[in-house]
Amino acid sequence: MALTRLFIANRGEIALRIARAAQALGIETVLGVSDADRDSAAARAVTRTVVLGPSPAAQSYLDPELVVHAAKETGCDGLHPGYGFLSERAILPRLCAAHGIAFVGPDAETIEALGDKIQARAMARAANVPLVPGSDSIASAADAVRVAEEIGYPVLLKASAGGGGRGMVIAHTRTEVEAGFTRASAEAESAFGDGTLFMECFVPRARHVEVQLMGDGTGKVLHFGERDCSVQRRYQKLVEEAPSAAMPEALRRQLHASAVALASSVNYRGAATAEFLYDVDRQEIYFIEVNARIQVEHPVSEAVTGADLVQWQLRIAGGETLTIDQSDIAVTGHAIECRINAENWQRGFIPSPGTITRWAPPEAAHIRLDTHMRAGATIPPYYDSMIGKLIVTGDTRAQAIERLEAALASFSVEGVPTTIGLHQQITAHPDFKANTIHTRWLEQALLPALDTAKG
Amino acid sequence: MTQPRDNEDLEALIRQFQGSDLEELHIKAAGLELFLARDPQARAPWDGGAHGEATAAPTPQAAPQSATSTPSPAPAPANAPGAAPVPEGFAVIRAPYLGTFYRAPKPGEPIFCDIGDTVEPGADLCLVEVMKLFTAVRAEAKGVVRHIYAKDGDMVSEGQPLFALEPVD
Repeated sequence: MALTRLFIANRGEIALRIARAAQALGIETVLGVSDADRDSAAARAVTRTVVLGPSPAAQSYLDPELVVHAAKETGCDGLHPGYGFLSERAILPRLCAAHGIAFVGPDAETIEALGDKIQARAMARAANVPLVPGSDSIASAADAVRVAEEIGYPVLLKASAGGGGRGMVIAHTRTEVEAGFTRASAEAESAFGDGTLFMECFVPRARHVEVQLMGDGTGKVLHFGERDCSVQRRYQKLVEEAPSAAMPEALRRQLHASAVALASSVNYRGAATAEFLYDVDRQEIYFIEVNARIQVEHPVSEAVTGADLVQWQLRIAGGETLTIDQSDIAVTGHAIECRINAENWQRGFIPSPGTITRWAPPEAAHIRLDTHMRAGATIPPYYDSMIGKLIVTGDTRAQAIERLEAALASFSVEGVPTTIGLHQQITAHPDFKANTIHTRWLEQALLPALDTAKG
Repeated sequence: MTQPRDNEDLEALIRQFQGSDLEELHIKAAGLELFLARDPQARAPWDGGAHGEATAAPTPQAAPQSATSTPSPAPAPANAPGAAPVPEGFAVIRAPYLGTFYRAPKPGEPIFCDIGDTVEPGADLCLVEVMKLFTAVRAEAKGVVRHIYAKDGDMVSEGQPLFALEPVD
């Protein structure tokens, strides 16, 4: 049954993005806000807002009982979790189901299976998806050494329950593996309450590529092309683009087919992203994980395919099946997104909450800006520092970069420091233009060079 | 409210004060009260304590923000107990930036330190978190924790005193 009233369980730009998609489909919107977000752009855009609780996220956006209770009490028949916060917590679809609310996303069991990296690896293996050479769970430091010597150094120790780089250790020698096992296991235990580790071969020059997927729960899964998100700092993406121009066509086809096979094998419902490492030296792709949500960088896929992925999420959650086929989805042109954060990137990337005193973004037909900012808007200190996503399209990657450089140069923000200046350094760099970067390029090459230049 | 840009204004003001002939400067405006003095024994108008240095403190009259009753999205910095003196010779440990003050590594875990504890150089005293960036605030030298100026979960502003440590040889 099509959704009639949607609860938006998120904030910031994505809450606004979801509200607009719902409105385009004639769905009423209810936004749960924290105390700090009562006057946010999303709060102004929705049909109704309801205050969840105090500003700290733990007492508002991160409380599943509170969120679902608010959705129930406001008569919502659907709930969109956005990204971050509760979006990949199985308890949220579980509570929604208990209250007769359609969760915009997969069911709790799918979220749990994909959230456990060892289970996800097993699912990928069963679907013949290429995996980075590695192990299942590792029982001891001695076990870790045995596996490391089997797959060859350097190796990466990772937390099964992990994410965002926490509980991850690179080891080049036997001694480092032994010490790393103890440290990563303790870190994983403390961060995720589960110290289980597994091991992967470490790829020194890797690009991060990912496939945008949409499934309708019947086994039908479509892909909307791939994205390349190799500009990262501390495992956080800063720049994302579509398509991955560095990837040869044959490998791209293998990438898409692997991602679709994996999602179809579990009758995936909703939006997902299958993430892969692209080993440029060996021309191989390796599965990393599936994210069972809409991602921050979904607009670049929308820009090159013309699809509205959030509308598709809402339609599928309302019981529709995918009425289009793979042949209806064509990738045209090139799109690049810059995540603009309120951070002082020249001073250790310190997040900088405050008030925007001037907000003058560039405007053009080839520019899309997803943001909840305006002059006078406040950036509370309680949540993440992203204040907008600048998406620029071009016929070719070169044209997109040229337009992006112009857009960044004319983007004026005052009141808080932003990462716009860093994006200018990235997009102007010959390595970025030549597309020879990898996931540690920013941290190993660009940032040290900028520090040296600064003197 | 003390936002980062206000701190820059404050720093500029302090520089101007240092370059002037003034002995003392007391300003109360826009929700902020500031007392600057050259004399280390000078007393701020709002407390009897002897501040050992030129000190900027949030106005003590500002009530801590009530989480449920105010629509203001801006955080009120925690009400630093300006009344708590910093005895001469104590090391004052300050907040590196505006953020939430945490006394324990995680909720429910033992706190990093308490009043009366002797801490070693480099020991973690607390965490300050802003927008998911956690920074451990550390002791620079060995000392005994004599004062803790903020409560767990308080919003603290950049440069706000968090701890006073009595040096130990």
